[in-house]
Amino acid sequence: MKNGDLGIKTTTIEKALEWGSANSLWPLTMGLACCAIEMMATQAADLDIARFGSEIFRNSPRQSDLMIVAGTTTKRMAPRVKRVYEEMPYPKYVIAMGVCVIQGGPYVDGYSVVMGVDKVVPVDVYIPGCPPSPQALTYGIMTLQKKIKHETDR
Amino acid sequence: MAHYTELNIGPIHPAVHGILKFKVKLQEEIIEDVEITLGFLHRNAEKICELNYYADNMVYFDRMDYIDAMNMELGYLTAVEKLMDMEVPERAQWIRMIMAELNRLAARLVGLGAFGLDMGMLTPFFHCFIEREKIQKIFVEASGGRQEVNYMSIGGVYQDFNDQIINDIREFLKEFKPYLEDIYGMFMHSEIFWQRNDGIGILEPDVALDYGVTGPLLRGSGIAYDVRKDAPYLFYDKVNFNIPISHKKDNMGRFILKVEEMRQSIRIIEQSIDKIPDGPYFNNKAKKSMMLRLKGDGEVFSRVESENGEFGVYVRGNGTFKPWRVHVRSPAFKNISVVPVMAKGMMIADLIVIIGSVDTVIGEIDR
Amino acid sequence: MYKIISESEDKNKIKIINIDKNDLIEFMEDYKSKGYYLSSITGVDMQDHLEVIYHIHNYDTHEYIEVKILTTDDKVPSLTKLWKAAKGDEREQYDLMGIIFEGHENLRRIVLPDEWVGHPLRKSYDLKKVQYINMDSEGKEHVSYNENEGW
Repeated sequence: MKNGDLGIKTTTIEKALEWGSANSLWPLTMGLACCAIEMMATQAADLDIARFGSEIFRNSPRQSDLMIVAGTTTKRMAPRVKRVYEEMPYPKYVIAMGVCVIQGGPYVDGYSVVMGVDKVVPVDVYIPGCPPSPQALTYGIMTLQKKIKHETDR
Repeated sequence: MAHYTELNIGPIHPAVHGILKFKVKLQEEIIEDVEITLGFLHRNAEKICELNYYADNMVYFDRMDYIDAMNMELGYLTAVEKLMDMEVPERAQWIRMIMAELNRLAARLVGLGAFGLDMGMLTPFFHCFIEREKIQKIFVEASGGRQEVNYMSIGGVYQDFNDQIINDIREFLKEFKPYLEDIYGMFMHSEIFWQRNDGIGILEPDVALDYGVTGPLLRGSGIAYDVRKDAPYLFYDKVNFNIPISHKKDNMGRFILKVEEMRQSIRIIEQSIDKIPDGPYFNNKAKKSMMLRLKGDGEVFSRVESENGEFGVYVRGNGTFKPWRVHVRSPAFKNISVVPVMAKGMMIADLIVIIGSVDTVIGEIDR
Repeated sequence: MYKIISESEDKNKIKIINIDKNDLIEFMEDYKSKGYYLSSITGVDMQDHLEVIYHIHNYDTHEYIEVKILTTDDKVPSLTKLWKAAKGDEREQYDLMGIIFEGHENLRRIVLPDEWVGHPLRKSYDLKKVQYINMDSEGKEHVSYNENEGW
């Protein structure tokens, strides 16, 4: 964006839209396991996520544009995750929270855990940690905002 | 001719506390039958435990009841230490006890906050999490982990308590006591909370026993059963505390009981923090470098009281470095199986508060 | 009348009673009348046979007892008629260990989908053969060994 001398900003429509959608992310409560509690902590008073414009956790996929996959995705859950993702309207983004979601984590030896949720849905930001601290999740969301703001530049 | 409606709740639904599916058969708004589908968080912990060394398995127990990690660790360790005939120094045992009770408080705070959310009460949720954050700061100081702490280890605890941590715990308790009453008041002064919980989710004691229900759900039906009194582990026989029970048998009784249990937990911590003796915090037989070379033989069943009830761990060793079989007696698994009984004949909206009152943690049910 | 084969103690001082699997129902009926409740069911794969371990608990006398039976053909009698707690436990042990509880009215898999092949907690279960689960639009689950058929 360019700052005008008269307090007026000129920008393109795409930029304005990006700026708007980056600062009003509505996450979906996709709490699957342990990380869900840290996601709740991020939302709660102490580490308020509302500072970044995403305070409204929606329970319906049709009202949200960011899916935070928080917690181990099992093979049985994977088709459901995909279905919920497909129900979300565009533009939509996915954050993979925790090592279980990134590549299986401590359950990598087992038989019923998906080795990475990116085999099921496309992922924008990965946040490692088991579970990642709320600060890490906040940083992940900021990273996603940066990505959204520069989408037309690419 | 009765007309039935079938309704699916879950697996992803804010009210089911995790991922769990309820298939409800309704006649108008009255629940005829509830069918529960489990397994969406089956992470095969029992199988992986067989592939790992004894000391490595702590991780998987942390992540079973993920909001009550200390008690899960304790359940596994009490079993494994008996299997290995490992003595635990007195200091370590007192530290374990304090940490277990602190985590019980943290877990209850999450439970109460989520229970409020089920009824649309957003305020207690924030207050509960502010307090929980303080407990987690203590955990971070002691162990480095916030939620999945991995603090205890075979033969003791990972790091010693220093004066700073003891001071922090004292300070926290001083602040927390009036705060807990505040949170309690937020619930109890709400007319809607009373209307939605009083007389809802009745569980008769004989049904509870028949289904193997333990924890607050059983005590809420008037049976004073708590592993901490029934078969004291650590030093629970050396501190004074009471087991609250409720004869109301409903959601309201269970809620009041859970808060009373938190007060008792505070009492336990207050007493034990003065009793920590000096000495080693680790059994030298289980030095960190030797940790992977511990062998277990024979079989053992050990139980502790977790936030949901009696958490039992069965471990069978065959004289090698790895366990032959690890089995978990999951309290939440038993508790959730009683939901269809409690919900029968109730309205569909009541099912949500019943699930909230049972306070399940899916990681422990599916393992 | 049931016959106790042997008695011992585990490392937590819990009494272990070994009985024959044909005596199980009779034994449990006797202990139920004494005020015991079922706490947990564990199956252990000993490769040539299976051990099924029942933990029963008396809330009045605070006594825990471990009852152990052996089976070579994977079949044991079901306890669902005595305690409702057995319903879920037996389904879980059937699912993961492959113990067939005769007389259980709804012996289906509980944590894995119905089409899953094999019982994972068996020592002979091959972890290298990866199975994938997919779901059709009706919500019915399908299991396959083919990676392309998953998700």
